[in-house]
Amino acid sequence: MIDALMQVLQPSVFMYMIIGVILGVFIGALPGLTATMGVAILVPLTFWLQPQEGLAMLIAIYCSSIFAGGIPAILINAPGTPASMATAWDGYELNKKGQTGLALGINAIYSALGGLVSTIFLLVAAFPISRVALSFGPPEYFALAIFGLSMMISVSGKSIAKGMIMGFIGLFIATIGLDPILSYPRFTFDNPNLLDGISFIPIMIGLFGLGEVLSQILESNKKEKVKKIKVGRIIPNKQERKQMRKPFWFSSALSTIIGAIPGAGGDIASLISWEQSKRFSKKKKEFGKGSLEGLAASSTANNAVIGGAFTTMLTLGLPGDSVTAILIGALMMYGMQPGPVLFTDHVDFVYVIIILLFIANLIVLFVGLAGANLFSRIMLVKREFIWVAVILFSIVGAYALNNSYFDVWVMVVSGIIGVILRKLDFPLGPLILALILGPMAESNLRRSLSMSLDGTAAYFFSRPITVTLLSLAILSLVFPVIKNVIKKYKTKNS
Amino acid sequence: MKKWYLMILVLFIALLAACSSEANNSGGENETEDNTQDSNEESKYPNKQIELVVPYSPGGASDMVGRTVGSFMEKELGVPVVVTNKTGGTGAVGMSYVEGKNPDGYGIGYVPVEMSMVKALGFADVEPANFELLGRAIVIPAAVTVPADAPYDTIEEFIQYAKDNPGQIRVGNSGTGSIWHIAAAGLAEETGAEFKYVPFDGAAPAVAALLGGHIEAVSVSPSEVKANVDGGDLKILAVMSSDRDPTFPDVPTLIESGIDLEIAAWGGFAAPKGIPDDVKSVLEEAVKKAVASEEFQTVSTERGLNASYLSAEEFTDFASKQFDFYNELIPNMDLQ
Repeated sequence: MIDALMQVLQPSVFMYMIIGVILGVFIGALPGLTATMGVAILVPLTFWLQPQEGLAMLIAIYCSSIFAGGIPAILINAPGTPASMATAWDGYELNKKGQTGLALGINAIYSALGGLVSTIFLLVAAFPISRVALSFGPPEYFALAIFGLSMMISVSGKSIAKGMIMGFIGLFIATIGLDPILSYPRFTFDNPNLLDGISFIPIMIGLFGLGEVLSQILESNKKEKVKKIKVGRIIPNKQERKQMRKPFWFSSALSTIIGAIPGAGGDIASLISWEQSKRFSKKKKEFGKGSLEGLAASSTANNAVIGGAFTTMLTLGLPGDSVTAILIGALMMYGMQPGPVLFTDHVDFVYVIIILLFIANLIVLFVGLAGANLFSRIMLVKREFIWVAVILFSIVGAYALNNSYFDVWVMVVSGIIGVILRKLDFPLGPLILALILGPMAESNLRRSLSMSLDGTAAYFFSRPITVTLLSLAILSLVFPVIKNVIKKYKTKNS
Repeated sequence: MKKWYLMILVLFIALLAACSSEANNSGGENETEDNTQDSNEESKYPNKQIELVVPYSPGGASDMVGRTVGSFMEKELGVPVVVTNKTGGTGAVGMSYVEGKNPDGYGIGYVPVEMSMVKALGFADVEPANFELLGRAIVIPAAVTVPADAPYDTIEEFIQYAKDNPGQIRVGNSGTGSIWHIAAAGLAEETGAEFKYVPFDGAAPAVAALLGGHIEAVSVSPSEVKANVDGGDLKILAVMSSDRDPTFPDVPTLIESGIDLEIAAWGGFAAPKGIPDDVKSVLEEAVKKAVASEEFQTVSTERGLNASYLSAEEFTDFASKQFDFYNELIPNMDLQ
């Protein structure tokens, strides 16, 4: 441990870490540039550095880009990364209410805290957590996806019917491309661009970036009023902190585990944490309308995933998410094979990584708070300038993702559809939810069926985690109905 | 006054955003311009970013080979080589994408063994003859891997167990019709054992499912199970190469165990058909040097891949023979 500290506490390590944080903030804040992309691009550049320097930079990019994805989500309702989808739901509402500073502050503080807590989990319970992650087989993934999809109703807004329509459209879009089990092309019309399906991120950028701007432009003709935006305070007060304590701890623990499960990352974790925090909250109604709890839950969740993902990577040598998949490659380049042996042969190196994660999160906290003022000042700029900038970012981001013009078209079409949907008051949440979870549900259902020894669905019911998650999903669907019936019955009687 | 300051700030950010995606391009161009100031700058290949398509997700063996060679080529050619992962369809999506690229040398791809299989599998109309092959980089045998506490210690015992419990052995692989799927199916075909095949989205989730006890075996590459074999959670029963794998010299081959089967994955690099000869030779040379580089050798040893270079010509011949082999083998297999 001391050795590891000595390795890390060097000016050069801090320098690379700060460079990483700054790069990460840009990557995260620009829709379309993802943490995965940032890390992948920089890995080859870090080979001429010392392992602790290179990792400092990569870890810093990872932590800060996930945090920074929340900044455009709060300021302009366009999540910078899929993991900050849920941050936009409450953060943007807070911004509209004039609590911009507070929203940015919470995003910074709870992102950092989530990262720190999950790192502590990694430090004290790496092996138990990885065992929990391994207990997730295909049936459990399927159940987790269904559990997540059950929140479609709660993100539907005013009309459940409209929400469902959007959700099923999302599920349909998710089936386009080669099917995940037999690789049979579906709805591809012999267009090779469609073989891999329609990627999710251009749709997200279109709906939330371009779509938001276009509808603001259309709205602005009607009411021309100049709003004076105050940054306001950044640090939440004692009472607010108390209110956010429960969703914070809850999201940290839940997201560390979701992060540890291979193949489930920040997007799924923040959606599920947001939904579960809502379920246990005393102020359910506020969620999606500027709830501090909701914002804290999603901000915590997407960064808490990082500790979990590192846990799986270090203990099992398997990627916990797409960023750690690339980091495994980087570690091997440094001659470290992640896996159980790392803990016996190179335990110092494990400590180096843990210490780097701690420091990276502290720097995120510092940069986040110090920058909140600066970031929120963007809102003081004339709206026309923001519009132009967002449109520019959207186009560049959609293209940069896969260097594909097809994605740009997907983005533009999604943007236009986004405007129409906003006009008609169709909620976008269920669509995004279905796009993220649909493929996971489908492939794992079919994979599970191929695993079931007698080929029947009975296989699912012999697995405790699956049964629990599926029951919770059913309960969350049925419970509001029952509650409504009881309510009606009561009002009738009284 | 203050307003102006902020406007400039926003414009600056906008510019930065535009640059961040183009930065690689311009940076690369400058470099080549420096190198070739007297020659005609525009036409000299390469003068902009090269896209290297890996048809599998980040983190796997193919990705690793692609990225290592990519980073070496970057130094060698003086332009950025950007690795993009286009997954799906057992690699067919990524390969079709490369096939359809403009044959100018700025879009090339990593091509795995699946190149000579997907047509036989009926997935896509991809075959080696549709590409200009640039060189082979690696060969990786299939390794039959089971949990360390499984009741069988040798491949013979495993086969016997599978025969005694037909349909009870679930073998994970990296996707329907992937080489690791064919490897397990080939083993079943050769020995008369009966397996259930479970396709995953890549080898890593299959290994995770094996570690979690959700399936009984995986047939993937030795490198993909190395971490957990070293850690004592998994054991390899046999490898499917003609010689023992250098990473695991104690593990017997199938042939040693009396099962006449040899299935190995391989990987190399390819460009779309019709690229100019001078461009092709630049790329061939870069691949050759990359595979011979110390970096690549270290990485491949470290990850349990066997670096095994074949020149463009040899590789073309090899790939077409493999294409014939799988087109004979696969139609006879029961893959479901």
